[in-house]
This record gives sequence, C-alpha cells and structure tokens, in this order.
Amino acid sequence: MKTLKFISMGVLFLLGTLVIKAQTADEIISNFIENTGGLDAWKSLKALKFEGNVDIGQGITIPIEVISTNDGKTMIKANFQGQNFYQTVYDGETLWGTNQMTMQAEKSDAEATANYKNEANDFPDPFIDYKEKGYTVELIGNETIEGTDTYKIKLVKEPVMVDGKEEQDISFYYFDTENFVPIVVETEINSGPAAGMVSQTKLSDYQEVDGLYFAFSIVDGIKGQPGGQGVTITSISLNPEVDESIFAFPEPVSTGETKE
Amino acid sequence: MKRFLYLAIITFFALPSAIAQEISLKGQELFGDIKARQIGPALMSGRINDIEMHPTDPRVMYVGAAGGGVWKSIDGGATFAPIFDEYVQSIGVVKLDPKRPDEVIWVGTGEIWTRNSVSIGNGLYKSTDGGKTWKEIPGFENSERIASIAINPNNTDEVYVGVLGALWSDSTVRGVYKTTDGGQTWIQVLYLNPSTGAGDVVMDPEDPRILYASMWQFRRTAWSFNSGGISSGLYKSMDAGATWKKIQEGFPSGPLGRIAIAMAPSDHNRLYAVLETGEKTTNGLWTSPDAGASWQHLNSDFGLTVRPFYFSRITIDPRDPNTIIKAGLTGSISRDGGKTFKDLGNMHGDIHDIAFHIHESDILFCGTDGGLYRSWNGGGTLEIVENLPISQFYQISVDNASPYHIYGGLQDNGSWWGPNSSPAGVNGRDWNSVGAGDGFRVLKHPTKNIIYSEMQGAENVWRYDIDRKKTKNIQPLEEKGKSKLRFNWNAPMALSAHNPDRFYMGSQYLHKSDDMGDTWTIISPDLTTNDASKQNQESSGGLSMDNSGAENHTTLFTIAESPLDENTIWVGTDDGNVQVTTDGGKTWNNVTPNLIGVPANTWVYHIEASVHGKGTAYAVFDGHTRGDFNTYVLKTTDFGKTWTNIVSDAIEKNAFARNIQEDYENENLLFLGTEFGLYITIDGGQNWSKFTNNMPSVAVHFIDLQKEANDLVMGTHGRGVIIIDDISPLRFLNQEVLSKDVHFFGTKPFTMTEQSGFAGSEVSETEFVGPSKASGARIVYYLKKRHTFGKMELEIQDMEGNKVATLSPGKSKGINVVNWEYTSGAPKMADAKTLSFSGFTPKRVPAGMYKVVLTKGKDRYEHTIELKYDETSLATLEERKEQERMTQVMFDMVEDLAYMVYQITEYQKAAQALILNHPKDKKPAEKLYDALERLRKDLVITTGDNYVGTAEPRLREKMGTLYSNIASSYDGVSASQMQNFRLISGEFELAQKRFEDILKKEGSKFESVLKKNAMELPGLLQKNTYLGKD
Repeated sequence: MKTLKFISMGVLFLLGTLVIKAQTADEIISNFIENTGGLDAWKSLKALKFEGNVDIGQGITIPIEVISTNDGKTMIKANFQGQNFYQTVYDGETLWGTNQMTMQAEKSDAEATANYKNEANDFPDPFIDYKEKGYTVELIGNETIEGTDTYKIKLVKEPVMVDGKEEQDISFYYFDTENFVPIVVETEINSGPAAGMVSQTKLSDYQEVDGLYFAFSIVDGIKGQPGGQGVTITSISLNPEVDESIFAFPEPVSTGETKE
Repeated sequence: MKRFLYLAIITFFALPSAIAQEISLKGQELFGDIKARQIGPALMSGRINDIEMHPTDPRVMYVGAAGGGVWKSIDGGATFAPIFDEYVQSIGVVKLDPKRPDEVIWVGTGEIWTRNSVSIGNGLYKSTDGGKTWKEIPGFENSERIASIAINPNNTDEVYVGVLGALWSDSTVRGVYKTTDGGQTWIQVLYLNPSTGAGDVVMDPEDPRILYASMWQFRRTAWSFNSGGISSGLYKSMDAGATWKKIQEGFPSGPLGRIAIAMAPSDHNRLYAVLETGEKTTNGLWTSPDAGASWQHLNSDFGLTVRPFYFSRITIDPRDPNTIIKAGLTGSISRDGGKTFKDLGNMHGDIHDIAFHIHESDILFCGTDGGLYRSWNGGGTLEIVENLPISQFYQISVDNASPYHIYGGLQDNGSWWGPNSSPAGVNGRDWNSVGAGDGFRVLKHPTKNIIYSEMQGAENVWRYDIDRKKTKNIQPLEEKGKSKLRFNWNAPMALSAHNPDRFYMGSQYLHKSDDMGDTWTIISPDLTTNDASKQNQESSGGLSMDNSGAENHTTLFTIAESPLDENTIWVGTDDGNVQVTTDGGKTWNNVTPNLIGVPANTWVYHIEASVHGKGTAYAVFDGHTRGDFNTYVLKTTDFGKTWTNIVSDAIEKNAFARNIQEDYENENLLFLGTEFGLYITIDGGQNWSKFTNNMPSVAVHFIDLQKEANDLVMGTHGRGVIIIDDISPLRFLNQEVLSKDVHFFGTKPFTMTEQSGFAGSEVSETEFVGPSKASGARIVYYLKKRHTFGKMELEIQDMEGNKVATLSPGKSKGINVVNWEYTSGAPKMADAKTLSFSGFTPKRVPAGMYKVVLTKGKDRYEHTIELKYDETSLATLEERKEQERMTQVMFDMVEDLAYMVYQITEYQKAAQALILNHPKDKKPAEKLYDALERLRKDLVITTGDNYVGTAEPRLREKMGTLYSNIASSYDGVSASQMQNFRLISGEFELAQKRFEDILKKEGSKFESVLKKNAMELPGLLQKNTYLGKD
C-alpha cells in the first residue's frame, strides 16, 4: 500500500499556466502548487479522507479508506469478508498494522516507525514548503513518459534508515509539460525482494474536490515489469471529522474466546 | 467552476488538431505502453569487465559488464540491479569517489578486454546521486574504451582517466586525461601516438602526486590482432601528471605488449607488473620493492602470461602485500609475493577482474566470461551470482511451437534453448544446453524435434535429436578438388521455408544439404574476395600468438533463402560481398558493385530475404572492425540490381547496425538492431524511433519475429533475450489511426488457454526470473493524448450491455495494452471471524462475443472481442457448460449465504440495541439474539485466526471450497463434487429454514416488543445493493 502515500497529490488546472514555459524546478513546482488552488488552500487543509477500491487482480477489488491529518496521523483500512485490516496506521508516535494471520494489531519496527515520522510533514503534499522542510529539488530535464513530454524533477527528502544504514530518500516526479500535473512518480525500492528496482506510480483521473484537484486513479508497479496494482478513489472529503482514537495502537486484550 | 475548467481543457486540447498538421510517424510516444520483456537467462550470465567495491560500506558493490551495463548491489553481492540502462552498455571501468562513495560514481564506457567481439563505448559518465541519474562528461565521446579512473582522495575534484581508445583504428583520444574541477575541463597529460592507449592508471593515495600508467600499443582488424610495439611502456609521474618518465629498469629492451600494474594497498612502494614480452624469461609477473625504481622478474607460468590482451589485471589483498591474484583463464593466486601460483577454484573460465571484500580477505569476487562469482574461503570455492542476466547472444531464433521456444548461442557460454514464457516466470531451470564452447547460430528443424547448433569456426556442427537425446556432428568437410574450408568464427547456417530437411552452411562456399546435414553439396564458387592477405591468422596476436579462430576472415557470414522462391538465395560475406543466385546456385551474381554508400569490403552482417517480393531483400553492413561506426542498411526490390538507403538521421551517432527484421505483413514496418539498442520504423525507413520502454541501450545482435505470436525476439549481446510481445498493433499505425482520439486495434479471437499446474515457487530470491508473458485477452488501443483529467473507465460487457468485468485501463499517449484474464469477479463471502480464500477465486466467463467499453468523461468507445474455448480442454462442450452452470449455482449460493448472514447480523444488532435501551423488555431480544447466534455459529467461523489457530470449517467454508473447486477446474463437474453439492445445498436449505423459523418464532415476539418501545426493525439493504450489484 505504498501507493497510498501518493494519494494526497492534487492539482488545480488553470488555463493561464499553459502559455508559461517553465524553466526551473522552482517554477514548475510553483506552478504546480500555486495553480492547485494556491498554497493557502492546501495549507489550510486539516485532514483528508479517501474512499476507494484496491484492484487485486482477476476482477477482485477490496474497499479501502484512508485518513490523513495535517499533524501527520494516518490510517489505511481495508475491509474484506467483515474483517478490517489496518495498514500504515500512525498516531504520531506508533506505526502499526494488522497481522493477517492473527488479525491482531502489531507495531512496525523502530526503523520503519522513525522513517514514517519523517513523512509526517508531507501532508498534504511533499512539495508544499519543501524548502522550509529542508528538501532539495532539481530539474533533471525533459523526458517522454507515458508517451508524454514531462519535466523530470528529483526530490530529496529527509534521509531514511535502511536496515541500520542511513540512505538518501530520493524520488522523481514527472510533471506533464502542458499542465504541470505529476503523472508518474518513481522511487528506488531500498529493501526487500525488489531492492534496487524502481517503483513507479502512475497518476491520472484528476478531478476537482471543493476547489482542489486530486488524482482519482493511482497505479503502482515496478518500472519495466508487467502488472501493477491500481487504486481507484471513489470519494474524497476535505477536513472530515476525525475520531482521533482510530490512530491509536489497540493494546492486546483477551478475546475471551473459549476453545470449542 | 468545474464545468468551466473542463471546457477550458477541451478547448485547449482541440487547438492543435484545428491546424490539421500531419502527425509525425516517429518518436517514443508512438509506442506508448508497449514494454519489452527481459527474460535473461542469468544461469550462464555473461562477461564482466570490472568490479568496484564501496570503500567503507561492505553492503555496496558495483559491476561493469562487458556488454550489459552497470549493476549495483546493496546486499553485499547477493543480488544486483541495473542502474545504467539508458546509456551505452559496454563498460570499461566503474569508480567511486573516495570521499562521497554513496553519491559520486564515475563510469568509463567501452570494454577493455579487447577480444574480437567487443562492443564499443561512447564516453565518460558521472552520477552524483548513487546512480539514480547520470550526466555525460563532455570530451570523451570518441574515447571508445576507458580503462581506468584514479581519484585524489584528498581532493576528489582531481581525477585522472586512462583512455585505452580505439581498437580498430588510429585515434588521438588516448592516454591519460586529468581534471581538477570534477570533470568540467580536461587536459591530456600523457599521450604517445594514435595507436597507443592507457591501460591502468594507479595513484599512490598517500601522495596523490605519484601516478603510474601502463601504455599499450595495440590494433585489431577483422582478420588479425596485434598486441605490442615500441610505444608500449610503464610510466610514472611524481608531479600529478605534469611530467612522466618510463620506469622499466630491468625490463627487456624492445617491444612490449599489454602491461598491468598494481600497487599493494598495504605497502605503497611494493608494485607488481605483468608484462607481455613474448619471451619466456621475461614474460609475466614482475615486482618492484621501491616504487618502480627497480624490477625483478618473478613468474612466467601459463596463468601469468595467457592472452595478455584479455587478462591484464592484478589484484592485491588490501591487508597482505604478498597475496596477489592475477586474472586469467582460471585466475591464479599467490600467497608468497608472486613466486608461486595456484589456480583459483572452479568457476566459469576467463577471469577478468577480482576484488577483495573491504574487511575480510576470505571473501572475494571474480568477474568472468560467465558472470560474477563469490568466494567465502579465499578463492577456493566459488558460487555464481544468479541474478545477473547479462548473457551475450550472438544469434537468436524461434520455433513455431505454441508457446514458442527461443534458441541462441552465447559468447563463451555454449548454445541454449528455452521457453519464451513459463508459469512462474522464466528461470534458469527452464533453459536447456544444446552446445559447447562459444555458441552462435541455433536453429530448430521446422517440423522435427531436432536442433542444429554449432561452436566457433564450425569446429562442431551438431544435429541434436531432442526426443532420442542423440547428437551427430554434421559439419561440412573438406572435399577433393576444393580449397581448404574457411569458416567464420560465427559461421552462418540457414533453413529453408520450402524444404524442412534442407540445411545451409557457409564457408567461403555455400554448402547445401537436403537431408539435414548428412550429405553436403557445394553450390557456389568461392563467394568471398579470397584476399590472401586476410587469411594469415597463424601470425595473429602480436607479441603473444593468438590464433583462436576468432579472426578467420574472407568467409560467408549470412545466408538467406527467399521465402518466396527456393532458387533465390542471398549470401553476404565478412569481406563485403553480396551475392545472389536465382537458379538454386547454378549461377551467382555478385551485386556488390551495385551497393550505394557502403565502403568497399564492409562486413555484410545480415541479409533478410523479404516475404514481400521475390527480388526484395535488406542488407545490413557493419564497418566497425574498420573503425567505421556508421549505420548501413540498404534495400533492394530487384534482386540487387539497385539499392536504396533506408537509414535516417534519427539513428544516433556510432550506432552501427547488425541486424534487421521485417514484418511479415506490413512491408513498411522494420526493426533494426544496432550497437546502442533497437530502432523501429513504421514508414519503410523514412523515420526511425528508438524503442526504450524497458529496453536498454544494448547491442542487439539478432532479431527474429515469431509468426504466430507476432513477438519480436531479440538476442542482445549483454542483456540476454529481450522480447516485445505482439508487435502487430504497430502494423496499423498510420495517419488515420494517429489522428483518432481513441482507436482499438483489431484482434484475432482469443483462446482461453486451460492450463494449470505448479509454478515451482522454490526459486530463490537471489535468482533472476524473467517475467512471463501476460495471459488473457490482450486489449490494445491507441490514445492520441494521455488521459490525465476526468474519469476514464474500461469495462467488459456482454453483448446485451451487462457488465462482466471492470479493468484498469492504460492511459498512455500511444499504444496501451490491457489484459483481461477472462474472469468476472469473485463472489462476496459472508462476514466471519476469519478469511475464506474461496472469496479470491474468480468466475470464468463462457466463450462468445464481448464488448470492450472505454469511457472517457462523456465519450464512449466500443470494441468487440471474441473468446474461444481451448481445443485441448479436458472437458467436452457439454461438460464445460455444466461446469459453468454449477459455478454460477455455487456462486449464487455463496452470495445467498452472505446475504443471510448479513440479515442475521443486522437483526442481532437490533436486538442488542433493544437490550441496551430497554432492559426490562430484553428477554425476547435475548432469545432472538441467542437463536440467531447459534445459527450464525453454524454458518460461519466465529473464533480463531487465519493460520494454525483456525477453527473447524462451517457451512461458508464448505460451500466456498466447493465453489472454488468447480470454478477453477478445467474439467467437467465430477460425481464427487455433485454428491458434495447435494450435501451442502441440503445443509443450506436447512439453515434457511432455521432462519425463517427463528424469524417467525423469536422474531415476531421481538417485533412486538420493538413496537411497544416505538423502535423499528433494522432497515436492511436490498440484496443487490448489499452485493454491490446495483
């Protein structure tokens, strides 16, 4: 569900920007942010709720719900056969998810939690106030991706720890040169079986929600490899009421079950 | 506002088409989403040129492959991933910045172990982000081969680059270059002459002003190699490259060949050098105890002197100046300072580079002609790295089986055949050996289970009977009255489209057999120039004789019998002749003088006899062995009388070509294999576009097009087999299609292949596995513009318009490919405490016609496809229909149960609410709740977990299992399944009855207390709504 961290990408499309030929990374990002309803509109967001479906192939989808807040809390919930599966739930301190064998909540390891804490300031989008956050951006150049001319921008965020070693956190955003919307995001996978490969997220179906634009289709895969997993967003609500208790790690309780 | 915005978008996007300009038939955007599939193999891997260890982090290392790019490991050498795919794949050296090794990587391109089949490089590259992005450093575009890089550890902007330079020609871009500003400006600090380049450049890290450089005079032609001359020598600079002097005190006078130089990391005055002198008493290993002031000869054993041009590297244990390893046929290790050596342990032969682990001398890595090896015991035992798919194919072919197989021969790795796709991906086990030595052409008999393969110089030509496992050597032999046969290293063979038993081979003559190689007839005169000056291979090598057969010249190289006429046969020779016969070899027409724009004697690498005309053929010429890297492709339609150049400027500089493949249906669709990757034209060569979708810039040596699948199969010289699945949509790209907003490409009916089995998941994570071909119906459409704004959906419907499946559409500009697995979703399972995996079994659709409906905002585009049953099915049509019917019955039953459990739960919730709010009336509610709970516990699992804490299966699990068994079966419904069905449907009927009874009895009492308390019955969702079908 790595995909979901890109969910908060949004863009407001303005005709006026089309005639401006962006030259620098700063200008491109500035176009992107300013035209998405402006920095103020994005920064006034307190929370976001997405509902949608994850396509797991063979025509089977699983409904999901994602809530994220401007103080870095997140929750992803999938429901299947009456069971709730939680993933990437974070209350500001503890990162946890559901173990699929026991269906019980389990904490993520310290490294993953520390890395996730770094993401807290990326609500609703990593490019907002990127300089203040200490991020660096670089325009790598024009590249054709998805058959489309794009600006390839490199974003370097806070370093992450990978199996005990500090690594740079680098991702590449491909902004459509015509409208400054990111259509593809690439990040190198730094651990696990696909380590060294590049994850590729395709963004499309941008639609407006109360003045802000969001990608309603997010397809995550490995660059160059067939397949991928799609998330289709069915609804987005801005500043929903959020019950803070949903982020808290549920301490184990006796199930009270008796063996039959 | 939203409406305004969309209008604005539409208006803007409409503008360009109003101008109605012609759409360019080139550019990456044509291909959209069509991606190449890299299937390796990695089990025989390929030649490694250089290994680079991270100086402080033992998890990180790099290898530079001879033809397969740069690979990075972040797990200590367990697995590797490519990081240089967009650039030339022939690598000379990889070097990390000593101060910023995580960020700054230098790559010098162009392999430096200068065998006959080497690829070329095109300069120097630098990454400042650990290999994620690269910049070309100007000034080295014509360097061809970069051998070494030395970086001042105190000031890493000071870098020295050793350029070996051009192999096949004179060049002034050679010697040692220096930058002091991180690569922005360069000075050539050591240059001797146009035929002498720099090999090793070594810096003393304690005093970076001290440099050593080995200079080598060398030259290769297509027919000979020369190593050595008076310009070769060993040089030292004490002033950071400003001045250099020879340090050869003790070396023999006279010409020298290739020289390797190394400094002991633990003793900077101790140097080792390997000299090529051609003389036993001076050849091989030397050492200097005093930083090059004096030298002593140590050893001239075979391992120290073998093929210096191919093996010229010494690696010294970083912790022990007396432990040294010399690259070689087997690799040799000394633990007594070079006095004596023993071979390294068993691994693939031809070791080019060795690197010690940064902390532990027992761990070392060897780069060979057959990949990278690891040792954990100081080089005694070696294990191969299994995920470097850098195999170097010379040739490739496919058969006409379904699914088809791929055949090919590799540099120093024999010949192989394997499937294009495999259930769990194409892994090492899928490949079968069908030859030894170097492998080249491998051809499958068109109708029999027989494979032809060969080794270098046609020393063996094998006819292998796959079923009977019998091999026969069938190479053409010298005949009375004919000259000694001259076979190319990569000797041509060919089959006939007209006679399946016919088999051709080429020496300087064309040999024909109509009985699979048992009897040979020479059907031509010597078709080459027969230039005696190019036939003196015994004297090849220079100071060290090197007559491997690799330089055999004035030979046939390509043979093509016309698919339209068995009497028309084309032949191309390595010395530039194009010859054609139209009478089966009785007379030959040398059409070489009719060629245009191709210098005389340019190697005829490939002739493709066209299916589009008897007199039509393509010829590809490769001049790189004369230092000519131009792209030469000519076409004739009149048996070679006249020729047209079909190369355009869009093909990048130095991308010389080796192979062309025509499409069998659209004469204007052509595929060109070049030194730097694949180019495609859809207009007969007026415009060429480089194909880069998951396709590295690797040398494409041979291309075949599989006729049934329309798959383009490439044999690359460095990245194994690369396939572009089904290129048929490219046939239909034209102005009309390109001007449409959406265009669906027509497809043949799809056969719903009925295959199941075991994927063999025990393949380890450290082994390369090539992706399988996507299965299912392949829905292909063209989008004029990438879909970014607004909704876009892709649905399969039956012909009445009922939804069957929703697919995730591709949204690229250009061609998009979406696969549908012939399924229409899985049933919704009843809620329970644990998961029923039957809920992941989809229902397959019946054969027939289906609509593909694409909607983009308000626009709707339709296309029809046809699905057919698999003719190899185990089931009869009647049985299949019964299986479909029973699948549906079970599907509905599973969902009926789900809805029933939903209702139960809703009633239970209402009962709980009443208990909570009106405790004095709780009794009827409790009774209802308890009765429902007893029922629910029989229907679904309410305890345990998804693993070994699992509870006994309930009705949901039993029902689900039967559904899943029937739905996923390719056989008819069995008697046992029907028996089980009767049991389960009986149980379900009983359960339904129990539910009804409970509602009647406990339910009606509960209803009256509800009424009494002014509460309402639960508002149940309609069944279809609950099931998500509304």
